[in-house]
Amino acid sequence: MADSESKATLGGKGWRPLDTLSIGGWIILFIAVASTIAVTVWPEKEIEGVQVWVFARNHAELYDVLAQEYNADADAGDTSRLNITTIDNDALTRRVLSGFWSNTPLADLIEIERDKMTQFVTGPLEHVGFTDLTDRIMAEGLDKKINYPSFGPWTSRGRIFGLPHDVHPVLLCYRADLVEQAGIDVSEIETWDDFARVMKPLISDLDGDGRPDRYLLNLWYSQMGELEVLLLQAGGGTFDENDNSLVASDANVMVVAQSVAWMVGPERIAIDAPEFDASGNQLKLDGRVVAVVMPDWLAGVWKSDLSQLGGKLKLMPLPAWEPGGRRTSVRGGTMIGIPKATEDFETAWQIAKYLYISPELSERLFEASNIISPVTEFWDEDYYKQPDPFFSGQASGTAFIEQAPNVPFRSSNPFHVMARNRIADAVTDLYAEASGGNVVGPDGKKIPADEVTSDLLEDRARELLQAAEARLLKEMSRNVFLKRDREAEDE
Amino acid sequence: MSKPTGRYSWWAPYLFISPFVILFAVFTVYPLIYSVVMAMQQNNGPRATAFVGLSNFKWVLTDPDFIKALKNTFVFAAGSIFVQLPASLGLALLLNRPDVRARGFWRLIFFAPVLVGLAFVAIMFGLIFNKTNGLLNKMLVLLTDWIPGWTWNPEFPWLQEFIMPALIIAAFWMYVGFNMVYFLAALQNVSKDLLEAAEIDGANAWHRFLNVTIPAIRPIATFVVLLSFIGSMQLFELPFLLVGNGGGPNQQGLTVVMYLYDKGFNIGDLGYASAIGWILAMILFAFAMLQKYLGRVEDR
Repeated sequence: MADSESKATLGGKGWRPLDTLSIGGWIILFIAVASTIAVTVWPEKEIEGVQVWVFARNHAELYDVLAQEYNADADAGDTSRLNITTIDNDALTRRVLSGFWSNTPLADLIEIERDKMTQFVTGPLEHVGFTDLTDRIMAEGLDKKINYPSFGPWTSRGRIFGLPHDVHPVLLCYRADLVEQAGIDVSEIETWDDFARVMKPLISDLDGDGRPDRYLLNLWYSQMGELEVLLLQAGGGTFDENDNSLVASDANVMVVAQSVAWMVGPERIAIDAPEFDASGNQLKLDGRVVAVVMPDWLAGVWKSDLSQLGGKLKLMPLPAWEPGGRRTSVRGGTMIGIPKATEDFETAWQIAKYLYISPELSERLFEASNIISPVTEFWDEDYYKQPDPFFSGQASGTAFIEQAPNVPFRSSNPFHVMARNRIADAVTDLYAEASGGNVVGPDGKKIPADEVTSDLLEDRARELLQAAEARLLKEMSRNVFLKRDREAEDE
Repeated sequence: MSKPTGRYSWWAPYLFISPFVILFAVFTVYPLIYSVVMAMQQNNGPRATAFVGLSNFKWVLTDPDFIKALKNTFVFAAGSIFVQLPASLGLALLLNRPDVRARGFWRLIFFAPVLVGLAFVAIMFGLIFNKTNGLLNKMLVLLTDWIPGWTWNPEFPWLQEFIMPALIIAAFWMYVGFNMVYFLAALQNVSKDLLEAAEIDGANAWHRFLNVTIPAIRPIATFVVLLSFIGSMQLFELPFLLVGNGGGPNQQGLTVVMYLYDKGFNIGDLGYASAIGWILAMILFAFAMLQKYLGRVEDR
């Protein structure tokens, strides 16, 4: 018995290969070998031509039309065909980062969203995966042609890594039907104080439960996008043009204290009605929000998502933080960049200009998404001057363009997102303290939530923002790559 | 003892273990060793690296965000162990009673949530916890209307100011039935003879539970606690999908693994992420050792 068993073993003389595996084992082995061969030999379908990755579906829809025209005109066969692919924003960012890190293939042109850009410039300049376009932009005079602040988010340590898609000026969008019904004259509004005072009669209890449910402004401590608009408008934000921190600046202190006072206590005018959110949209449809800060792209979003509000809205410049102050701000943004690994830079560069700054794009971009072009010479075009039924017949294009030259500078500092998060933490803490009646007043006593005002919050806002800035600077000091770059610059 | 014969015998054993050894070496040993090396580097992706020694560990241990993430994760783990597991045990005791009708049906009902994907659970609870139109707030308002002297804020900000309780509730719904199954299995092994003997000796239900049932199910309970703790320390998808990458306002929902992910794959500092990973591993190891030690002490 033992002898017959040993014959069937690998070392035995009577070893029969077929006996080494059962039938099931052979089937699995066959499938494994066959599938490996199939995967290896199967011809991979290669997409010919120039690849463009975008993260926004509305951008892709627009570029698809342009791509069809380009491909029809190109007449050069498959190598110059333009192919547009839409990828979710987070997935796109990770894919591009991993492509830069590991040299895996990427598209020839890639769109990047403003908040994601900082992830691409955290290391040494020579490790940024996008081609440095600074010299080309200067050589072709595009720096003069394009609204200068639009380059800000795509510039790191003085070098420009992308062509800007937009300007994204911000206006105040208000419910004209409600305002006019209440007999309110918006021309009396110049500052945010005026806005709160003139519009105050519109704060009302709609459901009769004794508590107001209509408020004047969509703003909440959890909505950092809206808060950042106000910070930038006031001259604050995260970093200035020389990469100095603005986290604890006077402008930020004032805006943070005022914003929290607008959410708590007798100065309350704010309501939490987030964008891209079903309940937030419902609040707007129900007339529980009188006004929102609206960049040009959001106007396009509202036209599709909140079309029921068409004809009930109007636009006006943002109220200023002080008489004669800035009446606009900026929110969002996109660039198109060319990875260093792109084989044909010249073709990619021509297509980038065609997709981003051509007259063909400018008109369609505005028609499709209400976004105005960053190219200043197009701002006189007729399509921007047409009455817009969604905004009660106002020329929305002209309204945004009038404020476009005044949009504030935005930093592309690699620590921008971190700085913004630190400010958000400070705002959240201040709100929690104010609404919990834990802010200490000048007399050393705690101020009840229903007595909190912006003046009483300023000292605490400053303390929280200074602590936030100290933490940020400590975290920044850890980055050896930026430290090296700075030392090299100093030398 | 006979000696193996044949010309292939000497390498046959190596051949047979080689698939495992190769895979284990490539996908476990090498990454493990390399992660130790990386934990001593600062990175901007894998190419830009700078040796920083042990400073990553020093930074992590004084990093307020990491400490916050660790605190949040421990709070969640405490919620799982001290709220979810007793509830699972209670359910198991209830559904182990022979006088409960349709026990199989109820067991399936309580177990079913775990069959639902985490992404779906996060989306569903996002709607349930919605401040303005959420089901939970609406329900609690209706409920408190029935109780004199009680009120509930109709816009209670679950996902803004009470993220961790919201996460514990969502995880409770999902896993209470799952852990119940372990306890049910353990309860099958409780000696009926002992229970009867204790009853004859005059022990009431509580004393029988404390002195007979608990000691009998202790090995399984210990395993469930350990599993629950490890699962809690690895919490990622639920808060990531429910409140976003940063963990919501003031990072209330930020967990250790979310922080590790953010540092490694959003910021690109794989070295810092490795250091966080090693600290997490050490915490898990310490907990497992502590539990083993306490188990031995109890046995003695």
